[in-house]
Amino acid sequence: MNPTPGIDFARLSLKDALDLAVLVEEEAEERYLELTLQMEMHRTPRAAAFFRFMATNEKKHGEELQARRSKLFGDEPRRVRRAMLFDVEAPDYDEARAFMSPREALEAAMRSEQKAQAFFEAALPHLSDPEVRSLFEELRQEEVHHQALIEKEAGKLPAEDPLPADAFEDEPAAL
Amino acid sequence: MSAHLPTVPAEPKDYKSELKPIWCPGCGDFGVLQALYRALAAIGRPPHEIAFVSGIGCSSRIPGYTTAYGFNSVHGRALPIAQGIKIANPELLVLVAGGDGDGFSIGGGHLPHAIRRNLDLTYVVMDNQIYGLTKGQLSPTSPRDLRTVTSPYGAMEAPVNPLLTVLAYGAPFVAQGTPADMAGLAQMIEEAIRYPGFAFVNVQSPCVTFGQDDWQVKQHRAAMKRLESLGHDATDLLAAMDKARDYGRELHTGVLFRNPAPPPTYESLVRERQQAFGNDVPSPARVLDAFLQK
Repeated sequence: MNPTPGIDFARLSLKDALDLAVLVEEEAEERYLELTLQMEMHRTPRAAAFFRFMATNEKKHGEELQARRSKLFGDEPRRVRRAMLFDVEAPDYDEARAFMSPREALEAAMRSEQKAQAFFEAALPHLSDPEVRSLFEELRQEEVHHQALIEKEAGKLPAEDPLPADAFEDEPAAL
Repeated sequence: MSAHLPTVPAEPKDYKSELKPIWCPGCGDFGVLQALYRALAAIGRPPHEIAFVSGIGCSSRIPGYTTAYGFNSVHGRALPIAQGIKIANPELLVLVAGGDGDGFSIGGGHLPHAIRRNLDLTYVVMDNQIYGLTKGQLSPTSPRDLRTVTSPYGAMEAPVNPLLTVLAYGAPFVAQGTPADMAGLAQMIEEAIRYPGFAFVNVQSPCVTFGQDDWQVKQHRAAMKRLESLGHDATDLLAAMDKARDYGRELHTGVLFRNPAPPPTYESLVRERQQAFGNDVPSPARVLDAFLQK
């Protein structure tokens, strides 16, 4: 799936690139909040707490990028729209499961960060503006940093839950 | 779509309501909802000009998660209600949604008539091949031999083929998507809405709780084949039927059929007749008198 249909990387200006980066973080923050709610609704509090932690991180990063954008370009109108983004850094919906363990939640977040890193990496050869290239390299590096943070969180977790995920599934039909 | 009305610059969030989805985490319908928000933003009609009708089932909750006027109606009866709304107010953009049980079983009798009337509706079916809301019984699209809590020896009936069914009834626009390709799905729904007539989008939207473990979004990603990349000619009805026959064996995504000469819509024929009558439209009392005298 092309996560950014309608975006021509060769013609991306620094303003567009910053707007795109802000929207990527916004999309990820929203998705983590959605997953938090799903987990809370389905009695999976520890995964919910981790997804909320991720949402806070994405929000913070988005705000930093927005501040840079505002400093450089003020209120100039945005050409990049949310409708052009499809799950660049946001975890896929099918990553979530009721009763998922905190470790599974961490693994889902890790895959999302890797996905984002791959996105910025794949875009690099298509960029013509050196400032945009530099920003994308920085963003790619940021995703690597996020992966390290998740690794650190994983290190704090106790050993995997004693009950396997299928312990919560219905009994198979009796024959 | 009644495209002559002005549109406004829109964002997907403009169509997102405050109500939070209560679907199971991992449900395919989350991706369908996101795709729908994007499609509506691309169309740009304000929410108050959209009516969204559904039947009963997990997927039929979807109108409530949008800012459009929603009607979570009666099991299997979304299409007749949507047709009534469209005839009463042809300027509205009318969307219909539901599941495979709602659309092809209890509401199955309405489908051919909605198609032959050809109102300008977009019907999105979230086909998960199971009755999920009632905890996993066979639905009309369940594959043969599927075991469920109420069919421990496996399904004995062959599944309904929704794609072939609607093509055979004469649907002028038929597509299939999956939440595994949200961008493709959004584009497909947008195209369906823009098509002037009855547009059908079958979305293979897996049930994460009662569906088949080996047919979830992850497997769709690996199995899906884009019709566009297969060189499929969407204006060729026989080619579309040929691809539709693969339902249940292959996951073809994209537009199967797009009638290049859209037949007249029901509402346009109604308008023609109204204009033809001009001032000679008989009053309801006169119609009733004529009926009683006969």
